[in-house]
Amino acid sequence: MHSSLSNIRLAGLAVTTGSVVRDFIADGLAAGVDRAALERTAKTIGLRERRVAAAGITALDLCADAAERLLSEMGLDATSIDAVIFVTQTPDHFQPNNASLLHGRLGLSKSAPAYDLSMGCSGWVTGLHQAALLCAHGGAARVLLCAGDTLSRLTNPGDRSTDPLFGDAGSATLVEKTGRSAPLHFVLGADGSGAEAIIVRQGGARHPAGSLNERTDAEGNRTHDANLVMNGADVFSFTLREVPSAIESVMRHAGYVPATTDALVLHQANRFILSTLAKKTGFTEAQTPMSIVEHFGNQSSASIPCALIHGLADRLEAGPLKVVGCGFGVGLSWGAFAGEIGPLIVAPIQTLPR
Amino acid sequence: MTRSEQLAALRADVDALAHADEATVLASLPQWDSLAILLVVSHFEHVYEREITGAQVRACRTVADILNLNSSLS
Repeated sequence: MHSSLSNIRLAGLAVTTGSVVRDFIADGLAAGVDRAALERTAKTIGLRERRVAAAGITALDLCADAAERLLSEMGLDATSIDAVIFVTQTPDHFQPNNASLLHGRLGLSKSAPAYDLSMGCSGWVTGLHQAALLCAHGGAARVLLCAGDTLSRLTNPGDRSTDPLFGDAGSATLVEKTGRSAPLHFVLGADGSGAEAIIVRQGGARHPAGSLNERTDAEGNRTHDANLVMNGADVFSFTLREVPSAIESVMRHAGYVPATTDALVLHQANRFILSTLAKKTGFTEAQTPMSIVEHFGNQSSASIPCALIHGLADRLEAGPLKVVGCGFGVGLSWGAFAGEIGPLIVAPIQTLPR
Repeated sequence: MTRSEQLAALRADVDALAHADEATVLASLPQWDSLAILLVVSHFEHVYEREITGAQVRACRTVADILNLNSSLS
């Protein structure tokens, strides 16, 4: 689906990460993995360290901290927010949703609706589209989009193919209605036939908590039914099949070409995937921030805002920049965007607790 | 591409296969793991612009079987 929305802008960004630093090599050695094998993976995939949430800290806590810091940085009162959207697949509870809990925690107005989007790595772009829709056509002047997960809680420490990839983070993005006419363009899609490529089988209504069915694969990776399991090769194939065409499509709608675009900001899956995608879409590595995974880990729906802040904060504050981006992952699903971002207010990346 | 050129390109892209020949049994290679399978998928995409799945690669017993994936896709 293609959508172009005018009279909206990104006004502010903030990201809060988990506080516990996990070192890829040290963790691997402790798990009995050969150092040479670890160094080979670290070099190829781009893994070094990641930040995961401390005990008791949830995606709601991380996003609430980011939102509070952003509102403070912008000098805004929470009652000026017309709606809150929360993108997560690691909510505090099945009911109520995280957006309602955040609504109460921040003290938002009773006239502000609050709803969750159950999406992962593509979710920030879908959430941005929802927030932009509310501002462009839904009667909202200011929408708070929070996106984040604590996926490190779902992976099995014995699954060396998946566990070392993920960090925990929460983001806050403020979207506002303006008189500015330059549109933001979106291309959103899904391929549910690939839904089992990234899955947590147990814990929902289909397979409530029960026997965990622990298993070990041919490489010795251990998982059970309540773990996040990922078929990395199939996710890679999906990414190469869908993401370049989504990026090219959204750039056609925006009238952008790589040479005159300031940045390609992708979901920070890993350096290997990002480098491949940059090459396939005609962008240079200098245009494509890709260091989030080696500093923070794969942060699910918080990774694009984290990459925007980590790689481009100064330029976004001075703005505008012509930015193309794409999130992709669980579903399987993807969302690409293109448009001018900035000038905007950026709160620095911080940990919780600090 | 000749068969030997295909083998050379595969060996250049997939470190686990750097010293392998067509008869090499994949399971005998210490670095034949999920990362190597990812690199094979990537190799087919960028050399041949062809999509293969991890399951197709896992089903291969020898390096020759991987090279045969290319002709089976023709």
